[in-house]
This record gives sequence, structure tokens and C-alpha cells, in this order.
Amino acid sequence: MKKLFFKIFIYSVLILLALEVYIRVFHLTKDYPVRYVDAFGVEKWMPNQEGYSVTGNRRQNFSEYRINNFGYNSYREFNPSKDKVEIALVGDSFIEGFHQNYYNSIGNKIENQLHGVEVYEYGYAGYDLADQLHLISQYKEQFELIDYVVLGIKFENDLARAEYNIVKERMQLESPLYKAIRQIKLLVYLNNIGVLDAPKDLVQKLLSNGKKKNAPLTKSEEDKQLKELETKYLENFKRLVNTYGFDKTRFLFLLDAEQTPDIFLNHLNEYDYKYIDFSKAFQASKKPPTLIYDMHWNNNGRTIIAQLIANYVKEMKSI
Amino acid sequence: MIFNSIEFFIFLFIVYFLYWFVFKRSLRAQNVLILVSSYLFYGWWDWRFLSLILLSTIVDYLVAIQINGNDNQRTRKLWLWVSVIFNIGLLGFFKYYNFFVDSWVDMVSMLGYDIKSTWTLKVILPVGISFYTFQTMSYSFDVYYKKLKPTTDFISFAAFVSFFPQLVAGPIERASNLLSQILKERQFDYKQAVDGMKLILWGLFKKIVIADALAPIVDDIFANYSTYPASTLILGVTLFSFQIYGDFSGYSDIAIGTAKLFGVELMSNFKFPNFSRNVAEYWKRWHASLSNWFIHYLYIPLGGSRGSKLMSIRNIAIIFLVSGLWHGANWTFIFWGAFHALAFIPVFLMGRNAIYKDSVVAENTMFPSLTELGQVVLTFAIVTFSRIFFRSESITGAFEFINRIFTDFSFGTYYHPMGYRMLDYYVLIAFFVLYEYLIRRDERSPFKFKSRIVRFIVYTIVILCLLLFYDSGVDRSFIYFQF
Repeated sequence: MKKLFFKIFIYSVLILLALEVYIRVFHLTKDYPVRYVDAFGVEKWMPNQEGYSVTGNRRQNFSEYRINNFGYNSYREFNPSKDKVEIALVGDSFIEGFHQNYYNSIGNKIENQLHGVEVYEYGYAGYDLADQLHLISQYKEQFELIDYVVLGIKFENDLARAEYNIVKERMQLESPLYKAIRQIKLLVYLNNIGVLDAPKDLVQKLLSNGKKKNAPLTKSEEDKQLKELETKYLENFKRLVNTYGFDKTRFLFLLDAEQTPDIFLNHLNEYDYKYIDFSKAFQASKKPPTLIYDMHWNNNGRTIIAQLIANYVKEMKSI
Repeated sequence: MIFNSIEFFIFLFIVYFLYWFVFKRSLRAQNVLILVSSYLFYGWWDWRFLSLILLSTIVDYLVAIQINGNDNQRTRKLWLWVSVIFNIGLLGFFKYYNFFVDSWVDMVSMLGYDIKSTWTLKVILPVGISFYTFQTMSYSFDVYYKKLKPTTDFISFAAFVSFFPQLVAGPIERASNLLSQILKERQFDYKQAVDGMKLILWGLFKKIVIADALAPIVDDIFANYSTYPASTLILGVTLFSFQIYGDFSGYSDIAIGTAKLFGVELMSNFKFPNFSRNVAEYWKRWHASLSNWFIHYLYIPLGGSRGSKLMSIRNIAIIFLVSGLWHGANWTFIFWGAFHALAFIPVFLMGRNAIYKDSVVAENTMFPSLTELGQVVLTFAIVTFSRIFFRSESITGAFEFINRIFTDFSFGTYYHPMGYRMLDYYVLIAFFVLYEYLIRRDERSPFKFKSRIVRFIVYTIVILCLLLFYDSGVDRSFIYFQF
């Protein structure tokens, strides 16, 4: 019996080592760029990093990222000036675009359609409107040189806060413990493909055993809760705009009107906020606009978005 | 609790520890542990149905004692019928009641009488009922045929009926094999334990990498068969052949491997059926424990092949039809059984049903001869074709599926329903077939390589494949649980 347990131990260690080697050699899991909070209190990626973003067990989506001098994933550096036309795309992971090669980003696709225009992508996973407006206000001088600022917004995700502060949960990912764990590629891989979900669920189940579960809400309770939330989010929007400013002549939103409640759309229309709605273009597309594994835009989706923004800029220029 | 879950491995570790470290010195304590853990294992799914297992256990335990205690043949037979009626009744109610009611209503309405079915019940099919009822019945049969003395040790008998590694999906053990091991003291054997772990690993590979990975493709093709070209339908049923093989033989391997960890040897259930050279050989290699059961307790009592050819053909037809019905309460399974009877009878009439009894394809050579290759491909094609009935939701659906293949042949590229690369699956199947061919001589030793380094590399590749094809979104339960 001792021999059996000894061999199980030895084999387990060797197999884990071999798996770590396989995962590294075949690059089966993603790299994690380092994040930080800069001197202006803006959370972004540490400048000048490169790596690969991987999705799926078998590298079904494999792309390269490059963090520029300013701390965002882009093939170009951001040097706005008065004598050029620039577009800034500000948003979350959809704009950040780790799911695509950095040289095939939305910005790049827009530039291919609008010659002479430079597109700066200020995308960062998890950015909500508070992050976006705070970034713009902190780098006011830079953004004042930019001709068009497009802010990606999703009502249900991006208006939960009425003011900016550093998201501690995100920055905790830079703690020495998390950094050390990320060095074990096998663990990162297992976590990404969902193998660790089962033990996590089991622990969760054991921990929650005996605790009373909340009774499910009725339809009318759910509706009431939703209405309250929508009102709260709209108030957050108003406060954010008041606090950080919003130049309606240059700023516009990029949103999916189908996923946006009327209360917010009406407010935008009433107060002359401009927005590009991509819902109809996505619906009209014959090919799916999103990836297999998540709802991030695939190449087709990004092309559609780029086309819509380019069309908007062309239209504005002609006016 | 299913074999491919974290709960099972925690459970297994605890039971293993108690079995060899705490209760090692007492056979009775070990058997009590097997019984309790088996009931826990089963009750994890639905504890209410434990009563059925217990009832079946009590009935056959008492019946066997009564049969053995009586010299009067008539009384012995009567007691045997008690076991048969009870177990078949249990099976009939939980598995076939609604099927028979619906079939009766359909038949009557075909004759022009319109009656509404108000007799159907909401019956939950208890997992593994077809397996453990057959196992307990086999005990009563063996005692009746005087092949076995009944045991008076109820705990051991109950442990035999509910032995958790094979409780819900076999192999369907005969008491002469399993009960005799449970009644005897078991010693820890290092080689047996290692062999068990290897089989568990190989079973997990077949289940997770082959069966679960192919499941979404097969489900998609069978659900939308009317929209796909014939080439896709052929692909779908071929992949289903591999899916069901991976699923069921994977389960059996894990069951046999787990039993080995407890010092128990279960019978082999799958012996590389995909390399069979005719349908008769296929049935010796596919679900062998069920084939054995039907041969011993149905085919031979019916007269087997001792009588006229016509009688033998009748007996063959009966066992295949019953085997079809055993799989599920649906006409699709009865057609599937009938199709296999039609495929088997010509082999029987040509006297070729036993010629491959003790050999494998390319027995003494590296590669098969062209004749053998042709035989293997033809047998695989016949068996795969029959699976259209096995997999279809209804008999009309099965015939429409077949109709599209034969009357509207067209070719089209198939895309994975979730957008994954199909090439991955084709390469996977090709390597799987090749690997199984290499190990075809011994189904109980999937990693029989002399070099320790080669063996280690194969282990790591197998585990890497488990990760590469693991899908947390797939329903991970075993197909044969529904039978």
C-alpha cells in the first residue's frame, strides 16, 4: 500500500510538471498583462507589454496584444495634435480588443476607411462610464485635441456608479499572491476552461449549506426592482456627466439600442446626446457578429462597428 | 453521483481509505461498508428508489433460499416465478407501463376506435433498474439450475446486488462471479490496484474526450436531420457510434477499474467491438455481460440452437427483440433489436457465428488482411446503420433519417454547432481508432507498454486530451443510465 501511495505521489508530481510544460510549449493559455494606477489615478495597463490572449481549450481564439506607451492595447502611439483628425474610442473590453490581433483592431479598420485619420483606442476590461469620463477629465488636454470621442456604453453594466474611485477588486489581481498563481500556467488554464468550477461549486455548496436562500421574486417585484434600478442608473448618468463634463459637440455614445431601456434613450434624445446604435446593423448581418465563447465582437462584428463609426465621421465631416 | 464528477472521486477516496485502512481486518465490516457506500452512492441521485433495490434484494434472497430448500420441482419453479414476476413487474411498471398503454391506444385508434389515454402515469425511471433487476434474477436462476448454493449472509448478498461500481450500468454480473468474491476475504494487491487506476483513466478518456466531445455534434445532427445533407447524416450516425461506444465502454472501464481497487474482478463488458469481423463477433464484444445474460437465462432455456434451424432462428429473434426492448420503452429499440436479428441470422445460417470466438482481427500480424479489413468495415457499417434506430426519437424519425440518406444523397461541409474546428474531432477519432487497434488484444490493459518512459508520455497525453476536450457545458451523465 505504501508503494502505491508513493508512486501515486511521484506520478502526480511528474504529470503536473509535464502538463505545465505542454501548456507553455503549445501556448494553450493566455498571458496576463500587468495593470497599475497611474499618477492621475487612472487604472490602466503598464505601458509597453506584449503577449497573447487565448480562448478555448484548444486555442480556438488566439490573438496578440501590444500595450502602447500610454497603457492601452493599440498598434499606434497616441499623439493628438490640432492639425490632424483623431478619433478616440473609449470603453471596456469590447474596445480593448484582446480577442483580436492588435493590428486588426476596430481603430485600424476605421483608419483603413478614413485615410489620414488616427484612431486611439482607450479600451480597458471593466471600464464603466465613471472610468471613461474620469480618464477623459484627467487627460483633458490630450482629449481636447481629439476631434471625435466615442464612448462605448452598456446601460445595465456601465452606470452602477455615480462617481469614480479605484476598483479595489481589480487591483487586488496585482497582489503578490495572484501574481504568483498566474505564474502556474496549468492553474490558469484549468481555471479558464472551467475545470476548477466543479470544486469551487462544491466548496460553495458546502459553505452555503444550512443558510437560508432568498425566496424568488414575483414578476411584479422583479419589474419594480428593475424600474428602481433604471431610475438609479439614470441618476448616476446625470451625476457623472455633471461631475466630469461632457462635450456634446465632440462626444458620442456607441450602444445597442435593443439592449438599452427607453428611459435612457429618451433622456439621450431629449438632451441632444449623440449616439451610434449598432443593433440594427448586427441584426442585418448574415454572419454572426460575436465570438463563439463569449459575446465579444468577432472580426465581422468589429468590421460593422468600424463601418458605423467611419460613416458617422464622414457624415460629420461633410456637414 | 456520476463517475466523472468530483463528488465521486472524493467519495471513492473516503471509501477506499475506510475499506483498506479501517475495516481491513473484518470481511463483514468491509461488506457492510460496501453496502452502505453503495446505498449512499445510489441515494445521492434519488434516495426514494433505494427501497426498490432493497425490495428486489430481499425478494431474491428469500426466493433463492426457498428454491434451495425445496426438492419438489414444481415448488422450486413456483418460487423462481416469484422472482421473475417480481423483477419483471418492477421493470414493467417503472420502465414500460406508459409505453404499453400508449402502444395499446395507438393500436386501437389504428383500428378506427378513438380512445383517449387517461391511464398513463408520471413515472420516474429509476436509474439502473434494468441492470440490478437482471443481476438479482440471475442469482435466483443460478440457484434454481443448481449452479450455485444460496447464501445466508444477507449483508453480503445485498452488497452483491448494490455493489456501487457496477450498480447503475453494469457489467451485469452473475452471482457465481461477483457474490463468490464478496463472500471471500479480499487482499490488497498492488498490481490489481494499479491496473484499476489505469482502467479508470482510460474510461475517463473514452467518456470525456470521445463521448462528451462528440455529443453536441450528434445531438445537433439528429435534432436537425431534416435540414442537413445526407453526408452530414452519415457523419452524425458514425460519430454516434463512437459516442455511445466511448460513453458505455468508458463507464464499464471505470466500473471495472474501481472494483479492482477494492480487490474485486468484474467481467469484461467491451472487447473492442469496432474491430469485429461479423455481427456475431460484435455481440461477443459489445455489452458482453448482457449478451451472456440473455444466452444463459433466455436463449438456452428456450432451447438455444439444439432444436431445428427454424427453432433456433425463432430463439435468436426473441433474444434480439427482448434485448431491444430491454434498452428502452420505445419502438425504435424494438426495430433496432429486429435489425440485429436480421443481421445475425444469416451469419448463424452460414455457421459463422462462432468462428471468431477466441481471436482478434490480425491475430498474429501487425496489419489486417484485405478480407479482414473489409469484414471489419462492413460490420461497423451494419452496426452503425442500426444505430439510426437506437438514436432517433421516434420510429418515423428514424425512417425519415434513412430516407434522406438513400433517396436524397447530397454532400455538404458540416460545421460544429458551437463553431469549433471539426478537424480536431476527425483527427481525434482517427487516433482513437488507431490506438485501440494497437491495444486490441487485451481490453483490460490499455497502457501496455514495456518502456516506462513511453507509458508516462502516453499517460500525460491522455490527461492533456482530457483537458483539451473537456467541456463544462456538456451534460456529463452516461447514456446507459436511462436504460
